Amino acid sequence: MDKLKLLSCSVLLWGLWSIPGFADDFAAKVRTAKLVENPNGYSVNADIAYHLSPTAQEALLKGVALAWDVFIEINRTGLLLNSRVYQKKIPYILQFHALLNQYEVKSPGQLEMFLSLNAALNFMAAVQTHAIDKNLLNNNDSYQLAVKTEFNREFLPVPLRPVAYLDGQWFLSSAWFVWPIQK
Amino acid sequence: MVSFQRLVCMAYSKIKLPASVSIFILFGFVLLSLQLMSSATQESSQLGEMYSWLLVINTIGSIILLGLVAINAYSLIRELKKKEAGSRLTTRMVSLFVLLALAPAAIVFYFSVQFLHQGIDSWFNVEIDRAMDDALELSQTSLAQRMNWHIKQTRQMAGQLQNKSETGIALEIGSLWNDSGAIEIAVFTSQGQILASTSTNPSDILPHLPDEQIWLQLRQNKEYFAYNPGENDEMLVRIIVPIQRDQSRYLQVLYPVPVRVTDLADSIEFAFIRYQEMTFLRDSLKTSFSLILLLVLLLSMLAAIWVAFISIRNIVAPVKELVKGTQAVAEGDYQQQLPVMSQDELGFLVESFNQMTKRIARSRDETRSAGLEVENQRAYLETILANLTAGVISFDASFYIRTVNQAAYRILHIPVSHFVGQTLQTLATKHTDLAEMLSSIQQLLEKAEDIWEQRIVFLGPNGRQELLCRGTPLFLQNGSRMGAVVVFDDVTDLIQAQKNAAWGEVARRLAHEIKNPLTPIQLSAERLQHKLAKELPETSAEFLQRGTRTIVQQVEAMKRMVDDFSEYARPSKKQVEIINLIELLQELLALYTPSGIVFKSSFPAGQVLVEVDPVSIRQVLHNLFKNAQEATNTPCHIDIKISKAIRNNVEYVELAVYDNGSGLNTEQIETIFDPYVTSKNKGTGLGLAIVKKIIEEHGGAIWVDTSYNDGAGFVIQLPVFEFRNT
Repeated sequence: MDKLKLLSCSVLLWGLWSIPGFADDFAAKVRTAKLVENPNGYSVNADIAYHLSPTAQEALLKGVALAWDVFIEINRTGLLLNSRVYQKKIPYILQFHALLNQYEVKSPGQLEMFLSLNAALNFMAAVQTHAIDKNLLNNNDSYQLAVKTEFNREFLPVPLRPVAYLDGQWFLSSAWFVWPIQK
Repeated sequence: MVSFQRLVCMAYSKIKLPASVSIFILFGFVLLSLQLMSSATQESSQLGEMYSWLLVINTIGSIILLGLVAINAYSLIRELKKKEAGSRLTTRMVSLFVLLALAPAAIVFYFSVQFLHQGIDSWFNVEIDRAMDDALELSQTSLAQRMNWHIKQTRQMAGQLQNKSETGIALEIGSLWNDSGAIEIAVFTSQGQILASTSTNPSDILPHLPDEQIWLQLRQNKEYFAYNPGENDEMLVRIIVPIQRDQSRYLQVLYPVPVRVTDLADSIEFAFIRYQEMTFLRDSLKTSFSLILLLVLLLSMLAAIWVAFISIRNIVAPVKELVKGTQAVAEGDYQQQLPVMSQDELGFLVESFNQMTKRIARSRDETRSAGLEVENQRAYLETILANLTAGVISFDASFYIRTVNQAAYRILHIPVSHFVGQTLQTLATKHTDLAEMLSSIQQLLEKAEDIWEQRIVFLGPNGRQELLCRGTPLFLQNGSRMGAVVVFDDVTDLIQAQKNAAWGEVARRLAHEIKNPLTPIQLSAERLQHKLAKELPETSAEFLQRGTRTIVQQVEAMKRMVDDFSEYARPSKKQVEIINLIELLQELLALYTPSGIVFKSSFPAGQVLVEVDPVSIRQVLHNLFKNAQEATNTPCHIDIKISKAIRNNVEYVELAVYDNGSGLNTEQIETIFDPYVTSKNKGTGLGLAIVKKIIEEHGGAIWVDTSYNDGAGFVIQLPVFEFRNT
């Protein structure tokens, strides 16, 4: 009986481990993020590297729109728990126009057309927020800047969604990247 | 208890929703969930956002249902292993249902998936692929031509602006704008400084300057031309070319694309993209629809199987209760009352079962009370039979012994009860001394058709015994023989008492009638002798003297005989006292030392105290020793044994006296204790009769030990006062 249980557990663990979704070869990475002071306050500049998997590239070329949500947070560090002082979500939608052979990137208030995929991804890579109120940050406290980009699977066509949750080709999100804010 | 169970059942049924309502609600949820998921697969549906959640919810629902089915199946398997009532019927019904439901559902699922896959495949073919590509190429060519024409036009305009001052350029672009049909014309430096611009929209003060991306391309390619999205979903052609001779100045012209062209291009692009997307999603669509179908099948099947489990359990529940009730009844529990759960045929069956158990219980109680009554009667009869002084033996139709009472053993001195189920013949083979008596009873039983009575004399272990037997054949109501019963009583003592009474009467009459005339006879003879002796001649006188002497002697003899009878018949005057029988014997044996009799005694250790008249007991022993001595020619040997005996729960002392004389034959044994029975030439024959009389007066018994064959053996049994150990 014990041997059977051990075997079952081993098979389960192997099955979980072997799910392609655990692979993060195509996950986006937040290369840098910094808080920049300007006359109107602060702004966050981040540089995100996107890597599209072959399946995602094929889907894009076949007209499937891909969407990412970039999350930016500024947290005040505490002894036990951090408290959030600023939060921003910037959605990006990348789509290919077969007629014009151009890539379109939509973001709030922006619509840009690009002749190459790299150009479109580079545009998406450079994230800049609007001005952040200076009063939000106190000089006496320490803060952390957290940035991540999340691939929006629910934006995919319905038949593709279940696969996107299981196939590693669709694991295009990044983890949270956290930087301490230099005073 | 039963009514309490019924109350609990009723309360539970009031609280619990009816099974049918629960089933409808469950199926409602299943159908709603599946319908929502089906709708969510439509791109146009607003439920599309919920698709993943619905998929997860339905999957979880399937898993829960699978768990419920598994739990029910496991429970059923356990019940089967325990061989619980109704488990096999439930298994059979569930298996049948699953088989009947699963087979068509699986077939429908298989063909549905096949049709679905074929349907999706039929959407795509090479011709449509080519048509789509051609349409797109056509559109692209058309747009490219338009673009080329606008590039050429823009280059010409740039040529016209060569070598002109900023003022000249400002004046020239106005005419160019009028001729070209452009929306906006602007001239700016490589640093982005606007030199001149004109636009169809008066509100546009500033021209649409190129952004960083365009500047980048412009620096790389010297020229820029592209279709750009304009306002209100319109499309614009942006062309930027350098004004020759002066690379630091650029001419930007924005041409409108006709709305019709834009619409057609959008339509073609949409169709192409849509088709391309569908091509890409071809396998995903198949998987997705198959998954939904599978979920539909799984949810429906699992829900149906679970409901089948519940329904079949509900159906089988009364049967299960009935089986349990039947088992309980089979084990003798007639108090089983099953709860009536429904008013259908099964409910009727349960009610009938309850009535049946009630009736059985009532009948059982009646039978039990009747049996108890019979048992009491039987016990009563057995008690009576056991305490009867008469022996009772009952026989079956084949004359096998069925019952024997205690008195039979007491009378016959053999354990007849050990021979229950056997015949009297078998008993006779084991006890040959009683064979004759038992055979005669057997013959009487077999021959008799009516009540019979017979006196049977036999020589038992205690001497001669006389039984008064009465036999009654037993018949059934139909006249057939069912057996017989024999009642017998030991009348030996009764007969003996009658004989003794008769002898006493004889003795009394002898004493009265014979002894009285003897004295006058003797006196008359003596007077005759006295008167006539002197007067008669010598010879006559001598004859007279002999005659009178004979008369006197015979009269004396007759007197002694009559005295002996008187003594025998007279009630003894006992002076009882407690004595040690062993001491009495030892004293008596000491007196016989000179007589030459060789005594061999065997006495137990201690004292044997008896409450007797020592004079009478001495007379008894004298008589026995005297008889032994007279019956022995050779030196007389007498063995004396004293032992303990228990008879009818009373302690007795047994005193056995054995000699080495001529012994007694069967006839002598039968009459040895009767008066006037003697084998000697002399003697009145009253010795042993007096011995028996004395012993019986002391509450004891004496008999001839027939098992002793080396002479005569007598056994005296006397009630003992106490066996005292030293």
